[in-house]
Amino acid sequence: MKTHRLRFVFLALAVLLVATLLITGCSKKTESGKTLYLYNWTYYTPESVIEKFEKEFGVRVVIDYFASNEDMFTKLTGGGSGYDVVFPSQDYTEIMIKQDMLNPIDPSKIPNLSYISSFALEKATYDPKMEYSVPYYLGAAGIAVNKTEVTDYARDWSIFADTRLAGRMSMLDDPREVIGDALAYLGYSVSTVDPKELAEAQKLINEQWKPNLVKFDAEGFAKSFSLGEFWVVQGYAEGIFEELDAERWGEVDFFLPPDGGPMYLDSMVIPKGAKNIDLAHQFINFIHRPEIYAEFLDRFHFPSTVHTTAEQLKKNDSFYEVEDLATYELKYDVGAYLAEYDKIWQTIRYVN
Amino acid sequence: MTTDVEKPPQRNGNHIKHKLIPSKLVSPPSGPQGPYRLPKNQHFRDHRRFGFSNIMLVLVILFLFAPLFVVITYSFNAAKGMRWTGLSLEWYKKLFFDSNELWRAFGNSIMIAFSSALVATMLGSLAAIGIKWYRFKARAYIQIASFLPMVLPEVIIGISMLIFFSAIKVQLGMFTIFAAHTTFNIPFVFLLVSARLDEFDFSIIEAARDLGATERQALFKVVIPSIMPGIVTSMLMSVTMSLEDFVITFFVSGPGSTTLPLYVYSMIRYGVSPVINSLSLVLILGIMILALTLRRFLKTIAASS
Repeated sequence: MKTHRLRFVFLALAVLLVATLLITGCSKKTESGKTLYLYNWTYYTPESVIEKFEKEFGVRVVIDYFASNEDMFTKLTGGGSGYDVVFPSQDYTEIMIKQDMLNPIDPSKIPNLSYISSFALEKATYDPKMEYSVPYYLGAAGIAVNKTEVTDYARDWSIFADTRLAGRMSMLDDPREVIGDALAYLGYSVSTVDPKELAEAQKLINEQWKPNLVKFDAEGFAKSFSLGEFWVVQGYAEGIFEELDAERWGEVDFFLPPDGGPMYLDSMVIPKGAKNIDLAHQFINFIHRPEIYAEFLDRFHFPSTVHTTAEQLKKNDSFYEVEDLATYELKYDVGAYLAEYDKIWQTIRYVN
Repeated sequence: MTTDVEKPPQRNGNHIKHKLIPSKLVSPPSGPQGPYRLPKNQHFRDHRRFGFSNIMLVLVILFLFAPLFVVITYSFNAAKGMRWTGLSLEWYKKLFFDSNELWRAFGNSIMIAFSSALVATMLGSLAAIGIKWYRFKARAYIQIASFLPMVLPEVIIGISMLIFFSAIKVQLGMFTIFAAHTTFNIPFVFLLVSARLDEFDFSIIEAARDLGATERQALFKVVIPSIMPGIVTSMLMSVTMSLEDFVITFFVSGPGSTTLPLYVYSMIRYGVSPVINSLSLVLILGIMILALTLRRFLKTIAASS
């Protein structure tokens, strides 16, 4: 009796193990046997685009996601190599170039580089010739206002100083974004290293904005906004609208304040240690194919900021326009001065 | 040695529960006296409806399960956000037909959980038996060292493993996650199986040896069957801990080895999709079914040993 049951236990466990191995192992085969490993922001590349690439090149694409540049950077410096294409933002692209972590881009393999706009390349001062990075998307965080609750408001950063809206507003939990907004509102550079300007920005946030904010939040604010709990939020358009059903989009006014502010430029890079360098080039080239890039823009309702021809091909209206970004400034790596930003952020975020 | 010995009366599960639980409280657990039983109709306290303990019970259950109910309710919401617009199975449709990435992560999690739990259970059980069975010099040190992964903060284990793996040039991926999970599971298995062995009467082994069993036979036919419930429990514990681990996995995962917790975490910036709510219900149901079947199963093993 006993031994039978024992045997049964082991048999059952073994079957379970083999079954899971088989189920998860089976899906790993493709015709060419090649696998392209991407490391990307969550949902940043539409699945339809990935599927088209897989079909056309007969390869398998495996995507891992990161939630912040810091996560990604930790992973890559810690020896997590093996990714073929990674999508860092401008400051981390710069750091990775400086630290010699990237493979050079071979322009002869990416004819579609000709579509990259000069607007994007002017901003990418750390790599204007695309030697190590190819721009993927350039955008900025803005302000979303619930029009059914709020009717009369200023369409610039001073909305956060509006005491009538106190307790109904939130800003991102991101030092460079919030301090950058204040700096831009005061007419300074978002990457300033002048302590006097920073002190002014700190004073503005602490005395005028912070008392009206519910919190600094980068994760849950869009849910609160869709619930009607928050009326005015600072955030990324795609994240905010993703929480809302399309029929409610009319209730929302999303705008980029004309005073300017910080913006980001995400690039595609090929880290050292990549195994499929050719395939990675093909992927980058594929992304910048006009109809494919338009598909990406349509998915997120983005304006065509880095691509010269996709604008005409896309079908959906974007949440903001390329022209809105004219006054915006990239958040460059401020190097050792970042500690100063962090110190100020501590007083904003944690000291009451 | 099983069949001819008088069998404990086969009734319902209750008597087994009594046999199992008080045996930890009352020191001579098994042996000739037979299973220990609580006298009938004896309760520790009278049960008033609004007594302190009942109120606490309700509060604790509410605290533990209310969040789960919220998640389950919203998994049937038609809208994307938190505003309730109506009943719908849309997110379930999406979960089952349109979430390849999620299922891939889930598959990775399951594969790692079961393989690392199996290996950790084998190693941990053997270690526990070995340390109880033999007396040797470094015994106490091994015991202490094996608890280290349990008391060290996960971040430290994660980082040190990451550095270790890149120092010995192992490609990060499924294998490194498996190795890491096995490592942190072993102490728990060791602890649980040791506890089970504490109740084990080692004179049975002497008897077995006396009757002509070899050392190996004594191990496989006497010791392991009688601690089987402990082994299965620790294996289940390991599966659970491996499934839910985030910190260590974050550090040692590599290309193509995203597990479910990593996947869900990476969504937070973009807004966690309601598909996760529906996955939660599927997981809760799956685990409940698994737990119920295993409970019956564990009882059978306990009864037969």
